[in-house]
Amino acid sequence: MDQLFKLSNFSKIAPYAQLFRQGLLVTVLLSLFTVVIGFCLALILALMRMSNFRPLRFLGIDKDGHQREGGALLAISKFNPLDFLATAYVEILRSTPVIVQIFIIYFGVFSMIELPNFQLFGFIKFNRFFPGVVALGMNSGAYLCEIIRAGIQSIDGGQTEAARSLGLSQTQNLRHIILPQALKNILPAIANEFVVIIKESAITYTIGVQDIMSAVNAVKGATFVIIEPLLVATAIYFCLCFPTSKLIAYFERRMSHGDKR
Amino acid sequence: MATRDDLIQVRDLKKHYHGDKIRALDGVSVDIQFGDVMVVIGPSGSGKSTFLRSLNLLEEPTGGSILFEGIDITKKKYKDESGRTVKLNIDELRQKMGMVFQHFNLFPHMTILENMTLAPIKVKKMSKAQAEEKALALLDRVGLKERANDYPIQLSGGQKQRVAIVRALAMEPDVMLFDEPTSALDPEMVGEVLDVMKGLAKEGMTMVVVTHEMGFAREVGNRVLFMADGLLVEQGSPEDIFEHPRSPRLREFLSKVL
Repeated sequence: MDQLFKLSNFSKIAPYAQLFRQGLLVTVLLSLFTVVIGFCLALILALMRMSNFRPLRFLGIDKDGHQREGGALLAISKFNPLDFLATAYVEILRSTPVIVQIFIIYFGVFSMIELPNFQLFGFIKFNRFFPGVVALGMNSGAYLCEIIRAGIQSIDGGQTEAARSLGLSQTQNLRHIILPQALKNILPAIANEFVVIIKESAITYTIGVQDIMSAVNAVKGATFVIIEPLLVATAIYFCLCFPTSKLIAYFERRMSHGDKR
Repeated sequence: MATRDDLIQVRDLKKHYHGDKIRALDGVSVDIQFGDVMVVIGPSGSGKSTFLRSLNLLEEPTGGSILFEGIDITKKKYKDESGRTVKLNIDELRQKMGMVFQHFNLFPHMTILENMTLAPIKVKKMSKAQAEEKALALLDRVGLKERANDYPIQLSGGQKQRVAIVRALAMEPDVMLFDEPTSALDPEMVGEVLDVMKGLAKEGMTMVVVTHEMGFAREVGNRVLFMADGLLVEQGSPEDIFEHPRSPRLREFLSKVL
């Protein structure tokens, strides 16, 4: 019976350790940039989804200047184009495979936009890395948007009422009352999304980003050893994700502790 | 036009939902004058909270008008003294109306002091030192000065509500609106909150109070409104309402609560 792996094969791939180290750095950078871009995008999308921008509002007001009580005009007056756009974006991004999105961004969008051809840290190809970050960021933005929206909506309506009745504007309410509380509640969910991004970033090797998976492929091609590089990659991904989720769980426990007397 | 003593004039105020099917308020008219302590009583679902919340537009009325200091706040625009059309600034308006809620609605992520100084600093552009000095003086008045750096979760219900009251007072409002301020409190804490409110009334603060505390209505209120089914059924002095109720609806209500 064949063995799953041979120890001798590990010594065959040992000379390529540098590739894995570089891959690890790329994966970590990719994930960090993705979560930052994704979060900023998500915040904008969430605010769009919850905005009260209604350009046709005047249709909902009768000739005495009061709010209409029903009818088609009231329904039309509630149309919010910002909400519509953000919802469409989120639903499309969540209902299509990441690999399709990455290919569209890389082969479509960035075939039209010329990216400078230089290398970060001497080995990261910017014109591969950047489209990868954009595609992953756009994707995670859609998921994070829903997390942020749920977080904001989980804050009791009384908080807004209290803030507004003190004279705070809508923006001040959001900035000082709602977001600080919402972010604290959704921090664990955001951190979980971070773990998901680390794993999902593996797919960017398909557009030539030199992450851990691309190191696996390179080693495979050079040595014709298949399983052992994959096991190394498995170990690296596990060592990235497992401590991260444990760390999250720790902070989660600590934060809930702060809510008690 | 509003006379000097009229702070708020409510005319035929309506709040209908779902077409005309639900009528939370169905034509309420009342005048509130400077120094009034107006107590609103009535069974649940009578529209008293909706009425109170309409006064600072937490509920948007679907009909009628509310003149606050001479300006109809139910309209998006109004004409100022020189006859120019001005957009209604709802935030400016709400600064002049303090509101106290049944569930306190303190900001849990801020200390008591931060709760109290946020609006004075951000809205009234007071300096931090000035706002804190004022907040501490107010806290001292309700016996909570030493709790200034605690978080709301560390306070009892009665203490939270006292903080909520002085938080609203820190904005120096012209009128204070109370939406069932003691309904969420344990019975032994009701007294401490009512005492603060009595003190305010004595100082001449204009107050509109929705409450189930009939003792408070009788003792502190100078006018009592009785609402039922979105209508203002009866109004008068506490004596009129509690000793000589005229409508059968009010008599029935009083027989249940007294």
